[in-house]
Amino acid sequence: MTDTILVVDKLKKYFPTKRGTVKAVDNISFSVTTGETIGLVGESGSGKTTTAQCVIGIYPPTDGEILFKGQTISEAFSKRSKALKRDIRIVFQDPGSSLNPKRSIKQILSVPLKVHRVATKKDHLTKIKSLLAMVELPPDEYMYKYPQAIGGGEKQMVAIARALATDPSLVLLDEPTSALDVSVQGKIINLLMKLQQDLNLTYLFITHDLSLMRNVASRVAIMYLGKLCEIAPTVEFFQNPTHPYTKMLLSAIPVVSQEEKALKPTKIASRGEIPSPVNVPSGCSFHSRCSEKMDMCAQDDPVMVEIGEGHVTRCHLYQDTKVAASIEQEEGVHAQDPVDQPRGDG
Amino acid sequence: MREQLRTDLLVSLKQKRRGFAKGWYKFSRNLLSVLGLVVLILIVLAALLAPYITPYPEHAKPYTNFKDAGKPPSTEHFFGTDRVGRDIFSRVIFGYRFSLTIGVVVLSLGVAPGVILGLIAGYHKGTWIETVIMRITDIFLAVPPLVLALAITAMLTPNLTNQMMAIALVWWPWYSRLVFALASSLRNEYFVREAELTGASKLHIMLKEILPNCLAPVMTKMTLDMGIVILLGATLSFIGLGVQPPKPGLGTMVAEGSKRLPGEWWGAIFPALAIVVVILAFNLVGDGLRDVFAVEEV
Amino acid sequence: MSPLLDVRDLSVGFKIFEGYLSVLNGVELTLGEGERVGLVGETGCGKTTTVKSILRVLPMPPARIAGGEIFYRGKDILKMKRREVQTLRRMELTAIFQDPLMSLNPVFTVGTQLRDIVKDSLGASGKKLTKKQITARCIEALKETGMPDPERIMSNYPIQLSGGMRQRVCIAEALSTTAQLLLADEPTTNLDVTIQDQILRKLDELVEEKNTSVLMITHSLGVVMDLTQRLYIMYAGTMVEEGQTEELFASPLHPYSQGLMKSVPKLTGEGVSDGIPGRIPNYLDPPAGCRFHPRCEHTMPICQTEKPPLFNVENGRHVACFLYRS
Repeated sequence: MTDTILVVDKLKKYFPTKRGTVKAVDNISFSVTTGETIGLVGESGSGKTTTAQCVIGIYPPTDGEILFKGQTISEAFSKRSKALKRDIRIVFQDPGSSLNPKRSIKQILSVPLKVHRVATKKDHLTKIKSLLAMVELPPDEYMYKYPQAIGGGEKQMVAIARALATDPSLVLLDEPTSALDVSVQGKIINLLMKLQQDLNLTYLFITHDLSLMRNVASRVAIMYLGKLCEIAPTVEFFQNPTHPYTKMLLSAIPVVSQEEKALKPTKIASRGEIPSPVNVPSGCSFHSRCSEKMDMCAQDDPVMVEIGEGHVTRCHLYQDTKVAASIEQEEGVHAQDPVDQPRGDG
Repeated sequence: MREQLRTDLLVSLKQKRRGFAKGWYKFSRNLLSVLGLVVLILIVLAALLAPYITPYPEHAKPYTNFKDAGKPPSTEHFFGTDRVGRDIFSRVIFGYRFSLTIGVVVLSLGVAPGVILGLIAGYHKGTWIETVIMRITDIFLAVPPLVLALAITAMLTPNLTNQMMAIALVWWPWYSRLVFALASSLRNEYFVREAELTGASKLHIMLKEILPNCLAPVMTKMTLDMGIVILLGATLSFIGLGVQPPKPGLGTMVAEGSKRLPGEWWGAIFPALAIVVVILAFNLVGDGLRDVFAVEEV
Repeated sequence: MSPLLDVRDLSVGFKIFEGYLSVLNGVELTLGEGERVGLVGETGCGKTTTVKSILRVLPMPPARIAGGEIFYRGKDILKMKRREVQTLRRMELTAIFQDPLMSLNPVFTVGTQLRDIVKDSLGASGKKLTKKQITARCIEALKETGMPDPERIMSNYPIQLSGGMRQRVCIAEALSTTAQLLLADEPTTNLDVTIQDQILRKLDELVEEKNTSVLMITHSLGVVMDLTQRLYIMYAGTMVEEGQTEELFASPLHPYSQGLMKSVPKLTGEGVSDGIPGRIPNYLDPPAGCRFHPRCEHTMPICQTEKPPLFNVENGRHVACFLYRS
């Protein structure tokens, strides 16, 4: 049962603005296996949310392809079939604005039921009750409440129930807990994990919280300025981070215990501002903040290389593995000169 | 099924009642608004019951009594009498009937189309639909309402019905502007996004998701506009393009009375004051409503 | 030696339609000269109300100070005249808030705002500098916060800067005055981790250098760990625990602190705990006794009737919990 449910292939999403083109997502590829949780992590402007928005269809991609269950879905949601809308659902970050303040929870939950004819009209009420029970909210107490009458965590539970009302197979979680307190976060995360088991869901989990991903994701992908830096299985990712940006991120996480401090990479001081996405640095976009910057980094954009089982990274430090050689050939002549330089140095 | 419907109804009624009580609490924090509301209720009641409570109800109709003409205010005639001996107080109360009718009819004719067009344009922001609707709105807005209403009434026979039609015709664009602005920002809210991604119909999104969130500002604006519409109606009547004498329109009465200023000052001053009071009352209530609908901070 | 700031039994509430919201319920907080103290609590626990009370910027009504004192250098802020409070805010207290866009005026350049603050604080202390000297000081202040290219930033408007840079401007403003006490209310909550890391380290350096006292208010436990010496944990308008930061992190005593620490997802990856059941109480009708008792797994009969005082536990730690009564 390790089939691929989602493939994102050379996805690009550019936004034209007055100040120039914003390359929100620039040529990223990854795939998601059925039943896993992949964590897409990045800071603001990294393009993680845009990636999710392309998958759900808020924006059609500028270039590249998105395959869902083997079928291309690279178009806006208005052109997608009902079945597809039913199969991919999203939970937004701020439950305060994703639930209509003027509608009761019952009304909110009945929308997907009506649109997708999930249950007959007679069974709506039973279905709504079972949905609320599924997210561990007492149905009779909550059904008639309005969003402003319940807490943030409970709102997010309702949003999750709404997403799962259509029985989807892929759920995009766009920072589902970052607007909530930590003491509430745990319950939602554990509920999500339980539902994943019970309903065989696949999660694309977008977040900026690496500590959370350590406990939730089966694989972690790091994005920076519209590009992927590193993808690795979670355990491997935290034990053996390779990309300098990953290391910087890890070292910047505020932690609460000495054991955790020991796990952080030896202090790579975070430095520099995140460049404006309109004006992405040449070559490797991270070179302006990188502590291990080499001469070629400013000119040449590195390619993804596999450095371990399912562990890929995109950095010049790792380009001279055997895999790099083959990619180099593909890349052609212009890649060759700069790559030679550090070898001379070393 | 029926049992369910009953619970639904009961719960929503309870919600509404609680909402109302809370609204009243916030409204009552502002004493001026409460004063406005009291005055307004008195005016409406007086206008409704005019034939029974005015001292001389027959004076609102064609009536002459030259014996009492031009008398200053007294206990017998609170506001004095006009040049044919009619009691101005009674006529002012009857005048409110016309003013309130103008306000209510104009807004009920103008608001609905304005809101609907604004909603459609706001939801379709950035498309040709928005361009067409909003540019037509702009054309109407570009002409001052009084001038446009003047032009329209001047073309038709001057009477109350035509006057109301004319004002309604210049009034809807304000509402389409307002709702357009609200809807085009609500459109980007996540709950609208979610409904779209779920595949809900445009009708559902516009009517059930966006519209309920627009109603509070629309209601506040309606209250504030009542006063302005009444003023516009009175203005048109003043220049003879509205309520025709001998009917007691407030504007008409000011016009008649002003001919005898400053000697018989009461003929113009009292109807004019009546206009001021009703507009002020509507504005105070409108301010109060704005507080009610304001977002809570605590 | 009397502490710099001493909040005693502060109770603050809000009068609203539904009734009286009793938010702060006997807050106790002290802060010594040059000390750095953290105040940690979750949304709605009254952190910001505490800060606003100290700065005397709570809107009254609806807010009402129901009782208590806030001593600054032995003088009760709550009893001061408006004039005195203004002088205090100009000379002694300074604050950094979560959203720098709200604290910076959008229609003036960074330079104008910074110059005004420097001029004002100098004017209040009786010194006079030339325009050039003031500008130089502003640039110096910006440079201290690690701002790249401060000369150019001076002529920029806040909207032209990124979130991190804006917060640097706020820090420069706060620390370019003669202020003795810095109230930092969630200063890095809106920022990315790598930027947060830089700002916190810079803030750390600067307050060290200027020997400013800091009250760091945040919901994030990780943020206060390295930055503060002493820590208060706040729940539902009361201090539930106080102690040296390191010790408190190593062994939280109050059931709420324990639950909170456990809820934070760890890099060690042992899964996420379910957090604390229930939610923060309704301030209209807060639970009697200990406000945490409905969510607490160790509830005893006494918890439901009596508010626990801060009990003194080994080496100067204080816990408001009857479990540590003896």
